[in-house]
Amino acid sequence: MNHGKMQTQATVGLYAAASALRLSLFILFPALPDLLTGRVEISTPVTSFKRFQEGLFLYNHNVSPYDGGVYHQAPLLLPLFSLLPDPAAYPIFTYLLYIVVDLLSAYALYQIAESGEAASSKLFTSPRKDKRWSGYVVAASFLFSPFTIATCLARPTSVFTTCAILHAIAKAIAGYPLTSMLALSFGAYLSMYPTLLLPPLVLLAYDRQRVDNTTPSLLQFASRCVATVSLCVSLLFSVSYLVTGSWEFIPSTYGIQLTLTDLTPNVGLWWYFFIEMFDSFRSFFLGVFWLHLSSYVGGLSIRIRSQPLVVLTLLLGIFAIFKPYPSISDASLFLAVLPLFRHVFPLMRYSFLTASTILYSTCLGPAFYHLWIYAGSGNANFFYAITLVWSLGLSLLVSDLTFAVLRDEWEVERPEMVGKEIRQI
Amino acid sequence: MPNVQSFSALRARSYVIRLPLFTRVIIVVMVAFWLAGLQSVWDLQQWGALIPEELGIRTMYRINTFPLIHLNFFHAFLNILALTPLLERFETEFGTLTSLALFFGPLTTIPAFIYVFLERMVLRGNTPVMGASIWVFLLLGMEAIRTYKMNPHLVIGTHHVPTWITPLVMVLVVEALMPSSSLIGHLCGVGTGYLFGLGYLKFTAPPEKALRWIEGRLNLLGRLPHYVSVDQKTYGRFGVLPTSTSNSGTTPLESSTKAPSTNTRRAMPRLLSTALLLRRDPRLLKLPPYLSLLCIIVGVVWLFMLPLDNYSRRTYISENALLPGQVHTYFGGSDQNVFRAYRHEVDALKDKSNSEINDELENIFKGVGLKVGRQNYTYHSAGNTYAGENVYAILQAPRGDATEALVLVAAWKNVKDEFNRNGLALALALIRYFKRWSLWSKDIILVVPPDSTTGTQAWADAYHDAHDSSQVASLPIKSGALQGAIAIDYPQEGRFESVHIVYDGVNGQLPNLDLINAVANIASGQMGMGTSLQEMWRHSDKYNDRLKTMLRGMLNQGLGYAVGPHSSFIPYHVDAITIQPVGQGWHDEMGLGRLVEGTFRSLNNLLEHLHQSFFFYLLMHKDRFVSIGTYLPSAMLIAANFTIMAIFLWIKSGRRVAAIVPADGAKESQEKQQDEPAAAQAPTTAVERDMFLPLALVVGSQFLGAVPLFIFNHTPSNLLGPAFATFSILNLLLPHLVSASGLLATFTPQQYDLARSFSLLLLGMFLSTLATLNFSLAFLVGLLASPLTFARPWPGNPLARYAYEALLALVAPPTTAVLAAVAAGTGSSGLEGLGGLEGLGGLGDALKQAAFAWDVWGVYTPVIVWGVWWPAWLVGAVVVLGRPREGKEKMS
Repeated sequence: MNHGKMQTQATVGLYAAASALRLSLFILFPALPDLLTGRVEISTPVTSFKRFQEGLFLYNHNVSPYDGGVYHQAPLLLPLFSLLPDPAAYPIFTYLLYIVVDLLSAYALYQIAESGEAASSKLFTSPRKDKRWSGYVVAASFLFSPFTIATCLARPTSVFTTCAILHAIAKAIAGYPLTSMLALSFGAYLSMYPTLLLPPLVLLAYDRQRVDNTTPSLLQFASRCVATVSLCVSLLFSVSYLVTGSWEFIPSTYGIQLTLTDLTPNVGLWWYFFIEMFDSFRSFFLGVFWLHLSSYVGGLSIRIRSQPLVVLTLLLGIFAIFKPYPSISDASLFLAVLPLFRHVFPLMRYSFLTASTILYSTCLGPAFYHLWIYAGSGNANFFYAITLVWSLGLSLLVSDLTFAVLRDEWEVERPEMVGKEIRQI
Repeated sequence: MPNVQSFSALRARSYVIRLPLFTRVIIVVMVAFWLAGLQSVWDLQQWGALIPEELGIRTMYRINTFPLIHLNFFHAFLNILALTPLLERFETEFGTLTSLALFFGPLTTIPAFIYVFLERMVLRGNTPVMGASIWVFLLLGMEAIRTYKMNPHLVIGTHHVPTWITPLVMVLVVEALMPSSSLIGHLCGVGTGYLFGLGYLKFTAPPEKALRWIEGRLNLLGRLPHYVSVDQKTYGRFGVLPTSTSNSGTTPLESSTKAPSTNTRRAMPRLLSTALLLRRDPRLLKLPPYLSLLCIIVGVVWLFMLPLDNYSRRTYISENALLPGQVHTYFGGSDQNVFRAYRHEVDALKDKSNSEINDELENIFKGVGLKVGRQNYTYHSAGNTYAGENVYAILQAPRGDATEALVLVAAWKNVKDEFNRNGLALALALIRYFKRWSLWSKDIILVVPPDSTTGTQAWADAYHDAHDSSQVASLPIKSGALQGAIAIDYPQEGRFESVHIVYDGVNGQLPNLDLINAVANIASGQMGMGTSLQEMWRHSDKYNDRLKTMLRGMLNQGLGYAVGPHSSFIPYHVDAITIQPVGQGWHDEMGLGRLVEGTFRSLNNLLEHLHQSFFFYLLMHKDRFVSIGTYLPSAMLIAANFTIMAIFLWIKSGRRVAAIVPADGAKESQEKQQDEPAAAQAPTTAVERDMFLPLALVVGSQFLGAVPLFIFNHTPSNLLGPAFATFSILNLLLPHLVSASGLLATFTPQQYDLARSFSLLLLGMFLSTLATLNFSLAFLVGLLASPLTFARPWPGNPLARYAYEALLALVAPPTTAVLAAVAAGTGSSGLEGLGGLEGLGGLGDALKQAAFAWDVWGVYTPVIVWGVWWPAWLVGAVVVLGRPREGKEKMS
C-alpha cells in the first residue's frame, strides 16, 4: 500500500517535471515552437500544425477547410481546436493541450509497462522476464526523449494518433477490448495507418480477456472487434460529414495518403521516389509501396502469434520507416514502446551501430536540409541520402529487435543453446 | 556447384602457388595465344577458331585449338578466371596425365563435333566459335551432376528445383549478359559435361594401368613440378577421405562423384569461422588508437599538401553568361567631375549626425531620380546599444520587371571605422552614371549604412523579412530577389595599385567562386590592376604564400565573423564581396569605377542565380583554389578519428569484463573450457554495459555548456574580462573538483570507457556535421580537441595522469583563447612581452566582439565552442583524473 503510494507520488513528480520542462521550453524560447513547426522532419503535410491553422481559419470563416489543398487532416480536429482560443493570440492553451496529450500517452505507456505483457504474454513467458524496467522508467524515457519533446513543441496532430494507439494497446492489455477498439478507431480515423494494427491488437485483446466473459472462439471475437471498429469509424465519418457538410474530406485526408499527391520532403522514403517517377508507373508503384507496407501485418502476426505486443511494436517501427508521410513523431512512438523489451536488450547485436546511425542522421539531416534549401550549396540528394541513413538506422533497430525476440523464443525451445553464437540463415 | 571460398590474400597466393601442372600449362598457352593474336600479320583467330564450313580433314586441328584462342583480352581474362578453379579441381582429382588426355581428346572433340553437326546440318549456319568457355560449361555440367547426386533439390518456397539445372541457368545468364556468346556452343559443353558426369563417357578415359606405366617409365613425378600423379590424386580437393569405402578398387571417375559434397558443406562454416576469428583477434583491438592517430596525422598532412600544384586547381569561370571583361566600360571623362562634386558634398557632411547625412543623401538620390527608403535599427549587445539609420535608393531597371536586383553598398564607415569618403562619392557617381544607361535588366540598389557591421545586417535581414521587428524596422520599399552585392570600401586617398577582394561571409559561408573570379578577371584582364586576397599584399604564388593565404582564409571562416559590409548578405544566399583599393600605384577612382561597372554589367547578364561553380572552396591565390572534394577529407579524417575511438571503446567496454569472467563466473568458465579455446573466447553478448552513469556524465556536461554560452553572451562588456578570467580559472579547477568530490568514485573502468566512448561519439558526430557547413571551424576544433582521443584514466601512474591533465589544460577552450590573444598581440606589435599584455587587454575586446557577433550577425561559433568542444574537453579532463574502481563488475 505504502509502496503503491510512493509509486504514485513518483509518477506524479515525473509528469510534473515533464510538463514543467515543456512549459519552460514553450515560454523561455517563444520562437522555438514555430521554428520546429516548420521543420519537415516533424511536420508532414498530413500532420503539420501550420497547415492545421490554415484549415482552422477556413473552417472558422465557414469555408470548406479542404479548399486550397493545404489542409489534409481529419475534420473532427477542427471543432476541437476552434473551442480553444486562437493559437496565434493565446498559444498557451494549445501548449497545455499538447502537454496533456503527451502525459496521457505516457500514462498509457506506464500501464502497458506495469502489466508486464512485454515479457510474459498468455502464450509465452520469456526466461528473462525478471529483467525489466518499471512503468516509471518507460514513461520517463518517453517523456524525456528529445524526439518526443521536439514533437510536442512542434505540435503536429500526429500526437493524437500516438495517444490513441497507446491507449488502444493499454486497454487491450487491461482486458477492455471494446474500449481498445474504440481508441484504435480514433487513431484510424485520424491517420488511417493504425487500421493496420487491428489484427495484432485483436490478438492481444483476445489473449488478455478477463476470465469472467471469455469468448470461446477467436473468429467470433475478431469479428466482434472488426464490427466495433467499423461501427466507430463510420460513426466518426458521419459526424465529420455533418461538420464539414460534404464527403470531400475523405479524398483530402485519406486519399492524399493513398495517392501521395503532396510531395513535400519528409524523413520517409516515398517522396523522392515519387518525384523521380514517370507518371505511367505511378499507380503501379503506389500499389507496390502500400502492399509492401501492409504485407508485414499478416506475416508478423502469424509468426509471433504468441507475443502480440511484439508484433505491435515491430509494426510501429515499420510504419515509422515505410509510411507515406513519416516523421520523427512516429519514430518517437516506436522508441517509446521499445524500452518495454528491456529483457531482450542483451540479445540485440547492433545497439551501438543503430544508436550511432540514428544520432548521426539526426544531426546531419537538418544540416543537409539547410545546405539544400537555405545555403543553396547542396541539392535534394543530400537530404534524401540522410533520410536513407535514418531509415537504415530504424530498420536495423527493427530487425535487431525481431532477432532478439525470436532468439528469446528459440532459447526456450533449445535451452542448450543459451549464450551461444548463432546466425540466421 | 562451385564452392564459396572465403577470400584472403594469403590463401589466394598459396592457391596460385599450388596450381597443378596441366592447369598452369593451359593458362600459359591461352595467354600466349592471346599475346600472339595481338599482332596483325597473321590472323590467329581465323586460323584456330572452330568454323564449321572450314572443317575438313586438313583443318581437323581446329577442334583442338579453338578453346585456346580468344577474341580479345576480356574474353580471355574472364574465361581463364572461370576455368582455373574448375580445371584445377578436375586435375587434382584425375591426375595430370588423365586431364591432358581427356582435354586434348574426347572432352574437346565431342562437344566440337556436336557443335559442328548442329550448326552445319540442323541450323545450316556457319558461326565460328572459340574460347575456353566450352570447357567451363563442360566442367560445370560435371559438377552439377555430382551435386545433384548428393543434394538433388534446391528448395525455394515449396518448389523443388533440381540442382542439375544450375549450369543451364548460367548458360542463359551468360547468353543474356555477354554479347556474341554462342548459346549452342555452351549447350554442347554442358551436354557433354552431363554425359561425362553421368559416367557414359568414362570409357574414353585412358586405362589407369597404362598411365601408371607411362608415369613410372618417364619418372614424371620426379621431373615435373606440380605434377599430379595418378596415385597421388585425392578424391576431393581438401584431402578429405571419401564417405564410401568402396573406392579402393573403383576408378576415380566413379568414386569422385561422391566426394565434393563434403566440401560444399564445409565451405560456409569455414568462411564464417574465419570472420569470427578475425573479429575476436585480440590484435584487432590494439589497432584503433593507432588508426586514430593515423587519421589525425593524415588529416593534417593532407591540409598541408593542398597548396601544391597537384592538389589545387586553377580558377575558371564556369557560368558562361557572366562574360567578364567582354564589354566596353564607359565610366570616366566628365564623370570624374561628377565624382569630385560628390566628394565635396560628402566632405561637407563629414561631421553631421546620421539622420542629417541621410537627409542630404536622400536629396541627392531624389535629384538623380531614384526611389529612396530609410530604415532605423537598434541592436543591443553586451550592455551596449548600436543604433543607426540606413538609407537606400532603388534604380528601377529599364529592361526588367523588378524581380531581380543587384546591390551596391557604400558604408559611411568601413569595418576599421575609417571614413569611407571616396567609396561613397564613387558610389554616388556610379549610380548617377548607371541611371543614364538603358541596358539594365535588374534593379540596382545603392545602400548607404552608417557603419559596416550593423547597418548592412539590419538591411539584409529586413530585406528578407527575417528581422526582429522590435529592433529593426521593416523596409518601406523593396525590389526583387537579390542576385549579387558589391561593397566599395575606399577610405584611402590618392591612386592605388591593386584591389583587395574580401569574400568571407558570416559563419564561414562563401560567395560563389564565379563572382570572385569575374572581378579578378576584369581587374587583371581589362584594367591591368593586381588582385590580392586575405591581406596578402605581396604574393609570390609559391608554396609558402599559398599556404599562408589559405590558412588566413580558414581562420576567418573558422571564427565566422563578418569581415566587411558584404558578409551579412551571404547567409541569404546572395553572393557578395567587398572591393578595397590598396597600395600606391597609378590607378585612379575612375579605374575602380570601371571595375565596378564591368562587374555590374557581368552580373546584369545573368539569366539565373549564380549556381554553377563552387560554394565551398579554399582560395590560395587569386587564380588557384581547392574545391571541397579535395579538402573535405582532412576535416572528416580528424572527425573520424573520434568516431573510430568511440567504436573501439564501446567494443572494449563490452569485452574487458569477459576477461575477468573466469574469476567469478564459474558457470561461464566451465562452458568455455568445453569450447575450442580460439573460436569461442567470449560470447559477444554476454557482457551487460552499465550505461546510466556514463550517459548522465556526458549529457550533464553537454548541458553544462549552456552556462558559459549564456555568461559570455549576456554579461555587460566591462565585466567580460573579469568574468572570463574567473571562468578560465574555475574551468581548470573543475575536473579536479569533480574528481575530488567523489561523484565518480563508483565508476568502474568499463564506465570510464563508456563515458569516453559517448563523449567522443558526440564530438565526432558534431564535427563531421559541422565540416559540411563550416569546414575550417570543424578542422580547427577537431585539431585542438584531438588530444581528447587519447585521454584515459591512468590509475597507477600519477605522473602520466598529471602530465596529460596539463596537456589538456593547455588545449582547453579558454586557455586556447588566451594563447590565441597573446599570439595575436605578439604578432601585431614587435615587443614580445608588451605585445602579450596588449593581447590580453585585447581579449576583452575580442569577447565583446564575440558577443556582438552572436547577437547581431548570428555567428554560431560560440555554440560550437561551448556546446561541442568544451563538454568533450570536460569529460576528457575528468576521465584523465579518474581512478576507476577495480573488480566487482556486473555480469548479465
